[in-house]
Amino acid sequence: MRVTFFLSLLFLALTAGCSDAPQEESVLQQDYASLEKAARGTEVRWHMWGGSAQINQWVDTYVAGEMKRLYDINVVRVPMDAPVFVNKLLTEKAANKNTGTMDLLWINGENFKNSMQAGVLFGPFTDRLPNFAAWYDPQKAAHDFGYPVDGFEAPYGRAQFVFEFDTARTATPPADMAELAEWIKANPGRFTYPQPPDFTGSAFLRQIFYATTGGHEQYMDGINPELYAKNAPQTFAWLSDIKPYLWQEGRTYPKDAAALDTLFARGEIDMGMSYHPAHAQMKILEKTYPDTVRTFVLAEGAIFNTHFTAIPFNAPNKAGAMVLANFLMSPEAQLSKFRPENWGDLHALEVQKLDVAQREAFDAVDLGEATLDAGTLSAVAVPEIPSEYLELLERDWDKFILGH
Amino acid sequence: MRRNVILGLAPLLLPYCALFCAGLTLTLAQSMGLFLPLGPGEATLEYYQALTRDQGLGLSLRLSLFVAFFSAAGSVLGGTVLALALWRMPPGLRRVGVVSKIGLILPHVAVAFLVLLMLSQTGLVSSALFQLGLISTPEEFPNILHTGSGLGMILAFLLKGVPFALLLIGAVLFGFDIRLIQTARMLGAGPLRTFWSVTLPRLLPAMHSAFIILFLYAFGSFDIPFVLGESHPGMLSIRVFDIFFHRDLSQRPQAMAILTVMFVFAAVFAMLYNRFAAYMDAWRRKL
Repeated sequence: MRVTFFLSLLFLALTAGCSDAPQEESVLQQDYASLEKAARGTEVRWHMWGGSAQINQWVDTYVAGEMKRLYDINVVRVPMDAPVFVNKLLTEKAANKNTGTMDLLWINGENFKNSMQAGVLFGPFTDRLPNFAAWYDPQKAAHDFGYPVDGFEAPYGRAQFVFEFDTARTATPPADMAELAEWIKANPGRFTYPQPPDFTGSAFLRQIFYATTGGHEQYMDGINPELYAKNAPQTFAWLSDIKPYLWQEGRTYPKDAAALDTLFARGEIDMGMSYHPAHAQMKILEKTYPDTVRTFVLAEGAIFNTHFTAIPFNAPNKAGAMVLANFLMSPEAQLSKFRPENWGDLHALEVQKLDVAQREAFDAVDLGEATLDAGTLSAVAVPEIPSEYLELLERDWDKFILGH
Repeated sequence: MRRNVILGLAPLLLPYCALFCAGLTLTLAQSMGLFLPLGPGEATLEYYQALTRDQGLGLSLRLSLFVAFFSAAGSVLGGTVLALALWRMPPGLRRVGVVSKIGLILPHVAVAFLVLLMLSQTGLVSSALFQLGLISTPEEFPNILHTGSGLGMILAFLLKGVPFALLLIGAVLFGFDIRLIQTARMLGAGPLRTFWSVTLPRLLPAMHSAFIILFLYAFGSFDIPFVLGESHPGMLSIRVFDIFFHRDLSQRPQAMAILTVMFVFAAVFAMLYNRFAAYMDAWRRKL
C-alpha cells in the first residue's frame, strides 16, 4: 500500500505540469538595438566544452573583456560537455522548468539534432543578428551534419580533419587512400584511430566511407538505406583489411582523441589525427609534440564542419545570449579566434565579404609551421554527412570491426 | 513502537526514497519506452528483447563477471594472508600495516592511472628496464594492459581491494580472543587444524562481506574500466556510458535496459550469495 502510494507520488512528480506555459516571445520581436539595451548590465552564462586550457583562456580574457567593454555584459564560462548539457535540458523540459540556468550553448552535430528533435532550443534567432546578415553565407550555415539549422544556431567556427605525422620518423606522408593503406601495412603496429563513437574516430570512419565509396555528393540528400547497404561493405572491407596491421593488431583502440595523442606523443604510433587543423601546432607550442610534427590531408578529401552557438528554450537571459552570439560572429572576434596563439580555430565568415583591410588581417595570420595553409585545406574540403548515416556507420563499425 | 521507528528514520528515508527510488523508477520506466524525451511513449519490452539478441553484450557481461570475480577473490585472499601475517608480527612491527592505508586513500581513478603509467608498453617500468638494458626495445615488455582479458583492470582493482579486505578482516582478527587459540593448542590441535577450525570460521563473515562488496563494486564500476578498459569486449558500464552519451537519443532505452538488468543481477547475486554463505556455514557447523 505504502509502496503504491510512493510510486504514484513519484509519477505525479515526474509528469507534473506537462502542459506548456506561454513562451516569452517578445525577444524575437525586438530589433537588435533594443536587445543590446535590454542586455546591458546582465550576466550571460555560456555553457561550453572546457577541455582545452587555451580556448578557455581566450573566452575568459578576450571574449569576457570585450563583452564587458562594449556591452557591459558579464560573460560566465561554464565548462560542460555538450551531451551533458543536452541531457540537462531534456530533464528541465520534462520537469517543465521554464527558467533554466544556461544562456548560450556551444553545440553541433548529433547534440544539435537531439536538441531540435526534443524541442529544447529557442529560435529562430539568427535572422535578428546583424553580423550574420553582413558577413555570412546563409547557404553554408543551413545544415549541421545534414540536419536543417532553420535559424536555431549561429555559426561560430569551422574545423577540418587532418592527419599528423612526425618528419623525424616518417619522411613523406601518404598522399591518398591507397598510399595510406600501403603505409599502414608497411609499418605494422604504428597506426590506429580512436574508437567510434568518439568524435575524431567517427570522423575518420566517415572519411574512409567517402573515400572508398566514390565521394560525398551521393549522400547529401539525406538518408538512403539502399545506397548505404550497397556502399558500406567496401568501407568495412578496407578497414578489416588494415586491421591486423594496426596498433595492438586492431584488438583494441584508443578510447578518445586524447588517448590517441598520448600514443603519438610517446612514440607508440607514428601517425595521429585531429578534427582541428591547428591541433598539432598547439601541441608543439605546449611541448607535447616534437617540433618536427607536421599535418597532411589525403587527396580524396578532408571533412570539415561548422560549429555553432544556440540558445536553450528556457534561457533566463535570451537577449544577452543573442548579443554574445552576435559578437562571436563579428570579424574582430573571428580574427582573434583565428590567431594560433589565441586558439587557431578556422573562421566561419566569408572573407570575400570583408573590406580590404580586414581581409588582409585574416591573410596575415600565420597558423604555424605544422598547420596546412587555408588554400590547401579548402581545396580538399568536403562537407559532413547527414547524421543518420553516421549512426549506421558507428553501429556497423561495432558489428564488423569490433565484432560485437 | 513501529510507528516511532519509521518516524525517526524519516529524515533519512525521505531523501533516500526521493533520490534513489526515483532514479530507479525512471530508469525502469525509460527502459520500457516510457517518459522518454523522444519516441511514441508506449510501454514495450522490445528493448529487453534487443538485449538478448546482442552477442556483444554477452561478451561484455562475461568480461564484467570475470573481472569482478577475480578482483574480489584476489583481494579477499590477499587481504586475508596479509592480515594474518600482520597479526603474527610483534605489536611494535604491526605499525607497518599503515602502509596499506595508502591504497585506501587513493581514489580508484588515481590507481587506474598509476597502473597505466607503470605498466603500459611505454610506461615507467618498461622505460626503466629499457634504460637498464634488460630489454632491447620497449615492445619487448610484456603487453599486460592489452591482453583482452581485463588483466590491467584486475590489477588496479586488487591495488584498491587488498587494503580494503585487509582492513575488514584485520579488524576481526585484532579483536580476536587469543585464549581460544591457546585452548585449541592445549587440547592438541596442530597449527593447521587450529586455523581451519578456530581462526577461519571467525574470519569468514568478514571475508564474505568483503567479497560481496568488492565484487559488486567492480561489476558496476566505471572509473577503472574507463581508463584501463579495452575496446572489445568492453565492460558493461562503458557500454551504457557510450549508448547514453554518444549515441542517438532513440537508443537511450537500451542503456536503461542494461542498467536495469545490472541492478537486478546485483540484487539477486547479493541475495543468493548470502544464502550460499549461510548454507556453507551451517554445513561447516554440522561437521
